[in-house]
Amino acid sequence: MDSTVNIESNHINIKSFVDERIKTFELVLSELEAMSKKSKDYFVKTLTKDNRIDNALLENYQFESHGFAWFETYRIGLRETFNWLIRLKDSNKAAEIDYNILLYSFAEYVSQMRDGIMISQTEIVRLSDIGITKNDFKFADEPNVNELISFGLSNELKKDIVNSLENGIFPNLGLNDETLEMIQDQFRKFTEEEIIPYANEWHLKDDLIPDQTLEKMAELGVFSIAIPENYGGLGMGKIAMCVVTEELSRGFLAAGSLGTRAEIAGELIRLGGTEEQKKKYLPEIASGNILTTAVFTEPNTGSDLGSLATRATLNGSDYTITGNKTWITHGARSDLMTVLARTDLDKKGYKGLSMFLVEKPRGNCENPFPMDGMSGSEIEVLGYRGMKEYEIALDDIKVSKKQLLGEEEGNGFKQLMETFESARIQTAARAVGVAQNALELALQYAKDRSQFGKQIIKFPRIFNKLAWMVMEITVSRQITLFSAREKDNDVRCDIEAGMAKLLAARVAWSSADSALQIHGGNGYALEYPVSRVLCDSRILNIFEGAAEIQAQIVAKGLIAR
Amino acid sequence: MKALVCVKRVIDYNVKIRVKSDKTGVETDNVKMSMNPFDEIAVEEAVRLKENGLVSEIVILSIGQDSSQETIRTGLAMGADRGILVKVDDILLEPLGVGKIIKEVCEKENPEMIIMGKQAIDDDCNQTGQIVATLTNYPQATFASELKKNEDGTLNVTREVDGGLETIKVKIPCVVTTDLRLNEPRYASLPNIMKAKQKKIETIESKDLNLDISPRLEVLEVNDPPERKAGIKVPDVSNLVEKLKNEAKVI
Ligand SMILES: Cc1cc2nc3c(=O)[nH]c(=O)nc-3n(C[C@H](O)[C@H](O)[C@H](O)COP(=O)(O)OP(=O)(O)OC[C@H]3O[C@@H](n4cnc5c(N)ncnc54)[C@H](O)[C@@H]3O)c2cc1C
Repeated sequence: MDSTVNIESNHINIKSFVDERIKTFELVLSELEAMSKKSKDYFVKTLTKDNRIDNALLENYQFESHGFAWFETYRIGLRETFNWLIRLKDSNKAAEIDYNILLYSFAEYVSQMRDGIMISQTEIVRLSDIGITKNDFKFADEPNVNELISFGLSNELKKDIVNSLENGIFPNLGLNDETLEMIQDQFRKFTEEEIIPYANEWHLKDDLIPDQTLEKMAELGVFSIAIPENYGGLGMGKIAMCVVTEELSRGFLAAGSLGTRAEIAGELIRLGGTEEQKKKYLPEIASGNILTTAVFTEPNTGSDLGSLATRATLNGSDYTITGNKTWITHGARSDLMTVLARTDLDKKGYKGLSMFLVEKPRGNCENPFPMDGMSGSEIEVLGYRGMKEYEIALDDIKVSKKQLLGEEEGNGFKQLMETFESARIQTAARAVGVAQNALELALQYAKDRSQFGKQIIKFPRIFNKLAWMVMEITVSRQITLFSAREKDNDVRCDIEAGMAKLLAARVAWSSADSALQIHGGNGYALEYPVSRVLCDSRILNIFEGAAEIQAQIVAKGLIAR
Repeated sequence: MKALVCVKRVIDYNVKIRVKSDKTGVETDNVKMSMNPFDEIAVEEAVRLKENGLVSEIVILSIGQDSSQETIRTGLAMGADRGILVKVDDILLEPLGVGKIIKEVCEKENPEMIIMGKQAIDDDCNQTGQIVATLTNYPQATFASELKKNEDGTLNVTREVDGGLETIKVKIPCVVTTDLRLNEPRYASLPNIMKAKQKKIETIESKDLNLDISPRLEVLEVNDPPERKAGIKVPDVSNLVEKLKNEAKVI
């Protein structure tokens, strides 16, 4: 068939266009894989000294190696978006918008990989930085691939994508499971009715999410998803966690983040706790009776947790803990802290750290820390409100030896690392939810607002933004669900989980920014929820591994793998 | 008391309905489907009655294609005990056909209360409950906004009627159709969604029932509602009256 003719006519059948080119997509993926090997070899060669990856060299090549992490993030993102569409096709569920998004994602990301990936708004990684040449990209100039790219980048295609959105048709989530779909449906409803109508007010008043809402979430089982059945949880796995998290975050980031705390504490105890600790705490966390808070960061140690200074000293059968902690989310309204502290002063770095389960009375806004030896104050923040962050001082707090996680010293950091996969996946799902929120607000506004006698959605600069958002949201979601699936199948996925977090956080911010842009001046008004979404989305690039740290982890993992 | 709750799978109320280009109906491909909201209220009512010890078993019945199993499953996740799917081929079912099928199922199941939405939000017929009552010869209590069980086993049903509320007493077995204000349906919790996976759904082929459920009506054409025209602002009341009189000709 003559495809050039096809492209020029407005009504090309996207389904058959893609179906006839499955081989081309596969070719692109295999070319990218070959390039990835080449780049990896380049870094291994460049960074190896005395038969191992040299940290000083890695730091010299930080920008370049992070560029490689991003290149791989794009590649895995495309692969999983492709697999998503194939699964949809196989179950007869692929709609036009799904095909369009696949094509657009390939066209856009392959072009960026060739010409430069924006790893932040002020840094672009080029091929030469990562040991690849233009010559390696020759395949993209072959007619098949070239045609795919030029159609994938066309206005026609973006218009079609946004047309579907206008008709209320969003890309398929690709859950492919009746139970997960029901979960999604129920949490969508819950969020629509119990979160969205109040979220902006909570944000503007800097309120805690009300206790009643928390209770409803507990009843629905939000805190019990990841906790095993024999400890009072549902043992449902990471995909279910992602579905619930995305839906709640779509309403309000803090709503999707309440579960994060249960997830971190739950995973710490499940993986590192003694039987007694598991029996004592897991059922209470699952039921929502105990709210937990993660107490790791200190004023002088954020990304570099290994250098933290809070001390825990054993006197008889009790430890006393002393130190300053900061950025403690939900610090007041919580009952159990997981505190990372140094038990061994002789061991520098990670090795001397231990994790403690410290019970505390629940505080409120008037009296946040009703406990001897514990004081603190609220940190006022741009967004991510609803739980409140605190700076906390711990002054000779007494904790029984039995509260040392696993009842063995020196494992704190290792125990924390074991939770990273889950926490990154969960955070990626939060970011996808926030981005989706931005997209939906932008779409609605672009339909409602007219200028120059037209709905603004009809202008290419507006529908282009919407198409971009929904495309990148889909790629982020699919790489997130992929990591979750791997995790559920007990396959190591720390790198993929890091990629999901890395990409989804960038997409949340860029989507929120574009959504605000589409709102024009109104977007800058506190009254419009999109202004909140902008503030909320900004945090995702900072916590759970700041973007630079996350890229570092991915790069290191890839090069060492 | 055993309750049979009839539920229909319809296009989700949030979806923007699009008419097919050939005007034979509305687009359903890749469109989100859900339980008819009035039926959800019926399920909720049955579950509440069961929680209060007034209903012993809740059976969910849906008539449709395989996909209607999902709708039944939602009812099971809300707290019903088991489900029945009567499978029909891809014909347009009308309330009379549905009523005949429900009657058949009633003969097998002998429920004391048959409860369903007052209407489905897709075709808005508002006929099925009444037809079932006629075919089974049971009393009917339609548009229920409150439901109470009496000591003697009868039900007191408050109905929303023009100009107010009317409370009637019906003997069981009976047919109840639900109105919007009866209750607010719950969300299915994760534990209940997991439990629902174990609950049984029986499938019956409608052709095995030997009923005449063929349509009596012929759909000629389906059209979009006319687009709303932009309004105008009038400066004052006299201007408004003038326009109502002379332009709109309504007074
Ligand atoms: C709203 C909010 C909630 C939070 N909640 C919690 C919580 O509940 N519990 C908790 O323990 N912590 C929490 N944190 C803390 C969070 O985890 C830290 O902010 C994060 O780890 C980054 O640490 P930092 O802020 O000290 O930044 P720094 O580590 O000082 O980093 C500053 C910048 O330098 C970059 N950078 C650092 N090292 C390198 C390097 N080697 N190479 C290149 N770039 C580098 C970082 O990426 C970042 O951009 C929260 C933070 C915020 C803002």
